[in-house]
Amino acid sequence: MSGTRHGTVEELLAVRDGEGSGWAREHVAGCPACAAELERLEQVRAELRALPSFAPPRDVWPVVREAARRERSRRRVSAWMGLAAAAAVVVLGFAVLHRTNTVQPEDVALRQAMAESAAMEQMFESLHPDRRALSGQAASVVADLEDQLAQVDAALNDTATWRSDPDRVAGLWKQRAGLLSALVDVHETRASVAGL
Amino acid sequence: MADTIPLAEAKSLVARARAGDFAALEQLCRAYERPVYTLARRLSKSPDDAEDVLQETFLEVCRSLKQWRGEGSLWGWIRTIAASKALMRYRREKLRAWEPLDDDVARQSEDVPLQMDLEAALARLPERSRAVVWLHDVEGYTHEEIAELMGMTTSFSKSQLARAHDRLRRWLGAGAEQ
Repeated sequence: MSGTRHGTVEELLAVRDGEGSGWAREHVAGCPACAAELERLEQVRAELRALPSFAPPRDVWPVVREAARRERSRRRVSAWMGLAAAAAVVVLGFAVLHRTNTVQPEDVALRQAMAESAAMEQMFESLHPDRRALSGQAASVVADLEDQLAQVDAALNDTATWRSDPDRVAGLWKQRAGLLSALVDVHETRASVAGL
Repeated sequence: MADTIPLAEAKSLVARARAGDFAALEQLCRAYERPVYTLARRLSKSPDDAEDVLQETFLEVCRSLKQWRGEGSLWGWIRTIAASKALMRYRREKLRAWEPLDDDVARQSEDVPLQMDLEAALARLPERSRAVVWLHDVEGYTHEEIAELMGMTTSFSKSQLARAHDRLRRWLGAGAEQ
C-alpha cells in the first residue's frame, strides 16, 4: 500500500470517473480497503442508473398544444403589427416628401409590392398552415422559407432600412411576396396530395 | 438515458414541428415526457413540482425549437432545458422563503436507521446533493457542466458529490469504517 492514509471519498470518486490523481490511482492499486470502497462506489452508481423511471401522472400534451397554438398566433400578429407600423411610417414619409399631385414611380412600385405581399399572406393564412401535417422534406423546405421570411420581416421592421435605403424596401416587399408564394405552393401541393 | 429517437428522425420531426405540424410536436412530447418527468422528479422537491417542470420544459422546447440545429443529441438539449427549469425553481424557492440549509437537514437525518433502500436514501439527501448525484452519476454531466447549471463552482459540485456518497454509504448500511 502506498502512502500513509486512505483515499477520501472525493479522491476515490475521481478515480472512479477516470480523473484521479497519480497518488490516488497508485494507492487504490495497493490498498484492499480503498479498492473495496471504489468498487462499492461503482456499484452505487450502477444501482442509481437502474432505478425505475416515473410516468407523468397526467397527460401534458393538451396544455403544451394550446400554449404552442397561442404562441404561434401571437408571433404572427406581432410580426404583422410591426410591419404595419413600419409601412405606416414609410407611407407617411413618402407623402411628406412628395407633396405633389404627380405619383412617383417608386411609390407605385412599393405599393404594388406591398399589395402582392398582403394578397399572398391572405392566401397563405386561408390554407390554415397550423393544422397541416407535413412530410419531413416539405417541413424542412417550410422551415427554411420561414427562416428567410423572418429575416425579411426583421429588415422591414427596422425603420433604419426605410430611411437609409428606400429603394431596397420595395425589393424586400417583393421578396416577402415571393417567399409567401413559395409557402403557399408547398402547402397547396401537400393539400392536393392529402386530398384536402 | 440514450436518445430514444435516432438523429435523422429527430431532425425531421423538429423541422416539421417548427413548420407548425402539431402531430410532429406531439410525437416529440410523447417520446420525451417520461425521461423529462423522471429527471424532474429526481431534481424536484415534490411530484407536483416535477409536473410543473415537465410542462415548463415542453413549453420552452416549443418556443426554442429553432435553437436546436441538429448538431448534438435532441435528448441532450431537452434534458438541459429540463435540468435548468428544475434548478431554477429550487433557486427561486430558496430566495422566497427561509429554509434550513441543506447541511442542517442532512445533519438532522444522520441518525436514521441503517439499511434503507437506495430509493429512500436518495430521497432523503438534501436537494442540491441529490441533484448533483443524479446529474453526475446517472445523466453523465461533468462537474464543470453541473457548476454552470447550478451557478456554483466545480469544487462545490465535487464536494457535494463526495458528501452525498458518504451519506448514502451510511444510510445504505455499508458503513464499515476504513
